[in-house]
Amino acid sequence: MRQTALLTLMYLRAFTRDRTAMFFSLVVPLMLMLIFGSLNLGAFGKVSLALDDQAGNAASQQFVSALEKIDTMVVTRQTSETALARLRRTELDMLLVIPRDFAIAPTRAGQPVPTVTVYGNASRPQQVSVGQAIVNELITRLSYAVNQSAPVVNVEQKDVAGVRLRYVDFLVPGILGVNVMQLAIFSVAFALVVDKRRGVLRRIMATPLRPATFLASQVVTRLVLAALQVLVLIGVAIFLFDVRPVGGILPLLLVSLLGAVLFLTIGFALAGWAETENQVPAIAQLITLPQFFFSGVFFSKDAAPDLIRPITDVLPLTFLNDALREISVQGASMWDVRMQIVGLLVWTVVGFLLAVRFFRFDRF
Amino acid sequence: MTAIVSVRDLMKRYGDIEAVRGISFDVREGEIFGLLGPNGAGKTTTVEILEGLRRADGGSAVVDGIDVSREPARAKERVGVQLQQSAFPENFTAKETVELFALCYGAQVDAGALLAAVDLADKAGQRQEKLSGGQRQRLSIATALVNRPRVLFLDEPTTGLDPQARRNLWELVRKIRADGTTVFLTTHYMDEAEVLCDRVAVMDHGRIVSMDAPQALIAGLIERGFRKPVIQQQANLEDVFLDLTGHGLRED
Repeated sequence: MRQTALLTLMYLRAFTRDRTAMFFSLVVPLMLMLIFGSLNLGAFGKVSLALDDQAGNAASQQFVSALEKIDTMVVTRQTSETALARLRRTELDMLLVIPRDFAIAPTRAGQPVPTVTVYGNASRPQQVSVGQAIVNELITRLSYAVNQSAPVVNVEQKDVAGVRLRYVDFLVPGILGVNVMQLAIFSVAFALVVDKRRGVLRRIMATPLRPATFLASQVVTRLVLAALQVLVLIGVAIFLFDVRPVGGILPLLLVSLLGAVLFLTIGFALAGWAETENQVPAIAQLITLPQFFFSGVFFSKDAAPDLIRPITDVLPLTFLNDALREISVQGASMWDVRMQIVGLLVWTVVGFLLAVRFFRFDRF
Repeated sequence: MTAIVSVRDLMKRYGDIEAVRGISFDVREGEIFGLLGPNGAGKTTTVEILEGLRRADGGSAVVDGIDVSREPARAKERVGVQLQQSAFPENFTAKETVELFALCYGAQVDAGALLAAVDLADKAGQRQEKLSGGQRQRLSIATALVNRPRVLFLDEPTTGLDPQARRNLWELVRKIRADGTTVFLTTHYMDEAEVLCDRVAVMDHGRIVSMDAPQALIAGLIERGFRKPVIQQQANLEDVFLDLTGHGLRED
């Protein structure tokens, strides 16, 4: 134990001198989070609405100012021509054309009512339907006001506290998961293949040090780094992006470390298999890239084609991301995500068997 | 004198290749023993079996009374090793490297004193990967001494070093032997074996073809009628080189 702890400290001290490794384990994850966090990618965001007020009268002013007060809308005034062009380039979600004969007045039977035309961006159906609902609601309210009547049914709206899913809330657990994977697989595979090829491992194995002690120190070194990385990322998420990890930081950290152990076993298997460090990136990418895209890092794992869903649903990173996301966003406890944890453990056993098969000290 | 290393009928094969074909020899306590031979003769395989890094396919190897194939871990505690083509973990200073290996043996050492003994006191705080070839070989010997070994194995310790660094290393090896450590080295430099070794074994194709003190082997050859066809020179080119560039150690 003492030997493992001291070895770990020595390796951690050496690691702090390794600028490249520091860059990849801290700067890159932070960059990923800052870039994607500020991109607000895939978020519902706001409905961008262009208005072509052809009436320009008091009634249309009243209608427009009511629209502008709605938070969900970003309203700009544009002619129909420009707005339609921008719609085609998907720079806008909707265009609302207020006709010349626009009026808000009680109608007499038989009199035609003005027609407001709404153009919607077909590639953003969610935003369009929300925007349309808002416009309809507004017209209904205006009608009630004009007709001096009230709706027959009243709807009271209540928010469910705790679920406040912005894109960055969705993103942060994914970033944690993917970085744990990258750190565990790449750092261990690269470092140990280099040590193997250069004869460092042979030299260490010429001492009475037990292989298990050496391996334990390598694992603990990486777990300490993974824990630091996770804490820094969570810290940045909290202070910079106002993310609230509902389920608490400790469960996030524990599940991350469980994931780190899993990916470390894969890193060791890879380090054992590869002859030179040049083989590492190819195989490591082959392992990590599909998970990067299909395990719900930057967008929902539901985006994967149905045909491969049975596979993508059981990828190691899918289990890790699902567990982290449920803890972070839904406030789940570790018991709530036990199925994902079982998934991680099963993969850990698989990885461990692979590592034992490929990482053979007697062959160095 | 007692034998500190005792090898009997040692065999090792890699697939179809018989690397070591049943060799036997003894190394006496306190001597500098050289295992000579061309590349591929089986020197490194033999040494690595003695160091506990490889398992023999037959025969026995006993180091300081311990059967290496039965108790490799215990045998490793008694020996110091410098491997051919090995390296140290990166981003460790020279001093930390020595401390790392001391930890591997569970030994307490004065790393500074060990580095001073191999003439690296002023490099203690420097990263080991920035050391020159000769300095790294000396660091390697320092790491091999952390457990106060009974036998020090040096596998081609001077390969790749310049003449100054080679002579410096020879001095160091003599000093270590004077402190009571038996030295077992392999080399394919005959001048090195001649000036450094008390006894040598010549290995070829996995067999030991001759074993004796260097001077005795030379005398035996002359006795068999061998004469060098060249005129005796009072100096050779290496003497010229050292005369021109001095014996002082270079930084690379």
